[in-house]
Amino acid sequence: MDEVKVSDKSGILAQKARKEILKMTSNAKASHVASSLSVVDILSVLYSGAANISPSNLDDSDRDIVILSKGHAAAALYSVLALEGFFDLGWLERYCGDGEPLGGHVTFKGVPGVELSTGSLGHGLPYGLGIAMARKRSKLSGRIYVVMSDGECDEGTTWESALIANHFALDNLCVIIDRNRIQSLTYTEDTISLEPFAKKWEAFGWQVEEVDGHNHLELTNSLSKKSTIPKCIIANTTKGKGVDFMENSVLWHYKSPDSEELNLALNQIEHKI
Amino acid sequence: MKTLLDNAKLDKDIFFITGDLGFGVVEDFQNQLPNQFINAGVSEQAMMGMAAGIASTGKRVFVYSIGNFPTLRCLEQIRNDVCLMNNSVVVVSVGAGYSYGSQGYTHHALEDIAIMRALPNMNVYIPCDSVESKAITNFLCKDNSPSYLRLGKSGEPILHSAELIINSNKIIELKNGSDGLILFVGPIGNQALLAAKELEKRGISVSVASVPLISNLDDDYLVKAAQGGPMITLEEHSSRGGFGSAVLERLNSLGLQFQLKIVASEQINLSEIGSQAYLQRSNGLDDKSIVNAFLALKENQKK
Repeated sequence: MDEVKVSDKSGILAQKARKEILKMTSNAKASHVASSLSVVDILSVLYSGAANISPSNLDDSDRDIVILSKGHAAAALYSVLALEGFFDLGWLERYCGDGEPLGGHVTFKGVPGVELSTGSLGHGLPYGLGIAMARKRSKLSGRIYVVMSDGECDEGTTWESALIANHFALDNLCVIIDRNRIQSLTYTEDTISLEPFAKKWEAFGWQVEEVDGHNHLELTNSLSKKSTIPKCIIANTTKGKGVDFMENSVLWHYKSPDSEELNLALNQIEHKI
Repeated sequence: MKTLLDNAKLDKDIFFITGDLGFGVVEDFQNQLPNQFINAGVSEQAMMGMAAGIASTGKRVFVYSIGNFPTLRCLEQIRNDVCLMNNSVVVVSVGAGYSYGSQGYTHHALEDIAIMRALPNMNVYIPCDSVESKAITNFLCKDNSPSYLRLGKSGEPILHSAELIINSNKIIELKNGSDGLILFVGPIGNQALLAAKELEKRGISVSVASVPLISNLDDDYLVKAAQGGPMITLEEHSSRGGFGSAVLERLNSLGLQFQLKIVASEQINLSEIGSQAYLQRSNGLDDKSIVNAFLALKENQKK
C-alpha cells in the first residue's frame, strides 16, 4: 500500500514538472527539453520520498544525496525542486534570465537542493563516489544517488569510478542511468555502442537492475531495495517522454517549443493522467 | 610528508589520496592512518572528482601525484569540482620543472603554474626548500581553500637558515642588496643565490627573494621593488604564463614603471633528455644565465 501511495504522489509531481519543463524551455528558448522529459520520472520518484531529502533536512550530515550528473537536464531538476518547496516556484519563470539563479545547466551556488554544479558530463559519479567514501569512513548513513545519462557512459570517469566503487565496496552508492538511447548527434548504439550495457556494470562488480524508467512503481521498488555492493539501476526511458512529437527524436535535444508546440505539448501532458 | 602525517594524526578530517604513486613516501601515512588514506589507483580524473566529493563533507583532502598527473590530466575536475565548488582540496604535485629530467617531456612539469594560477579560487604555493614546504604544509592543514602545492623532488639545498611560519603572501628575502632584485619561486632559487654571489664579485649587490604564494602577490613589496632597480623573475617553468607573467600582470595593474626580465624556459627542444642541472643550463636557468640577464638589463638602464 505504502509503495502505491508514493508512486501516486510522484506521478502528480512528474506531471506538474513536465508542464514546467515545457514552459521553461519554451520561454527561455532553451535546449534539452527532451532530455528533461526523459529523466523527470526518476527525479520525481527520488524527491517525493524514495530519497531521504527535503527542504528541512538539507543540513543533516546523514541524509541522502541526489546528484544530477546530466546537468543539461537542469529544467527537470529545477522543476521538481521548486514543486517540492526547495525554492520559490517563481524562479522557474525566469529560467536562463540575466542575473537569475537558474541557468541552462545545474548550478550549485544559491540554489537550495543542488549538490554539485554539473554540465560537463562525467563529473557526478566521481563526486558522488567521494561523498559515499567519506560517509563510510565517518560511519555516517545515507545513500548517494547519482543520476546519469547513457551517453555520459562514454566518459572514462564513469568506468574509473565503477572500478573504485567496487574496490571499496560502496554499498551506499546508487547510480541511476537514464537509458533513453539517444545522445547528442544520434542513437547511442550508432555512436559508441554501450550494449551489452547491464553486463558491463555487472562485470565491474555492481548489482544491476533494469526497470521501466517511466514506471513509478518499478522505480520506487528498485530504489527501496538496498544492496551490499554498489548498485546500478538502468532505467529504460524514452527521450521526450509524454509529448508524442518530441519522443525519440534527436531534434528535441536542441529545439525549444514555440508557442504553438508548447500548447500542443501541454495539452498532451494534461490529458495523459 | 612527515609534517602532513603529524597534522593528520591530530585532525581526523585530513585525508590523503594518492594516484598510485609515492613508493617509500606514503607508507607511514597509509599504515598509521588507514582510515584517512586512499589509493585511487591510476585514475586521476576520478581521483580528483572523488577528492572534491570527500571535501564537500567537511574534510581537508590532500591529493598527491607526480608531475602533470594531478594537474593537467584532471584539469576540468580541478576547475569544476574543486574550484567552482570551492572545495577544500590541496593538489600536491612533486617533480616540478625538470626534476624528472631524464624521464622525458611527459614527465617535465613546465606549464602547471600558468594553468593552476588561471583557475578561480585557487591559491598557488611554490616552496623553495624543506623549510618553506614544512611551513606551508602546516598552514594548509588548517586552511580550507582550494590550493596547489608545487614541490620539487626531495634533497634540494636548504636555502633558509631558520624555521619559518607562512600564513600570508609575504615575499621572503634571503639576501638584501641595493642594485636590483631577483624574485624566484621554487628550488631554482639556489641558482639565484649563486648568481647574486657572482654579481657581488662584479660590485653589484642584488636582493634575492622567494615568493612562496604567487596567486596573491604582496603589492607593497612590488611597489618598492619596482623603484629599486632592475628585476629578474626566475622559475623552472615555461616562460609563457608562469610566475614571471604573474609579476608582470600585477606590476601592470599597479600602474608602475619597471624594468623586468623573465628568466624561464623557452621550451625550444621538447625532446631534450638529461639531468635537472643539465636541463636548467640548456634552458638558460642557471646562475650564469641569470647573471647575463641582469647585466643586460643594467646595460639597458644606462642607455
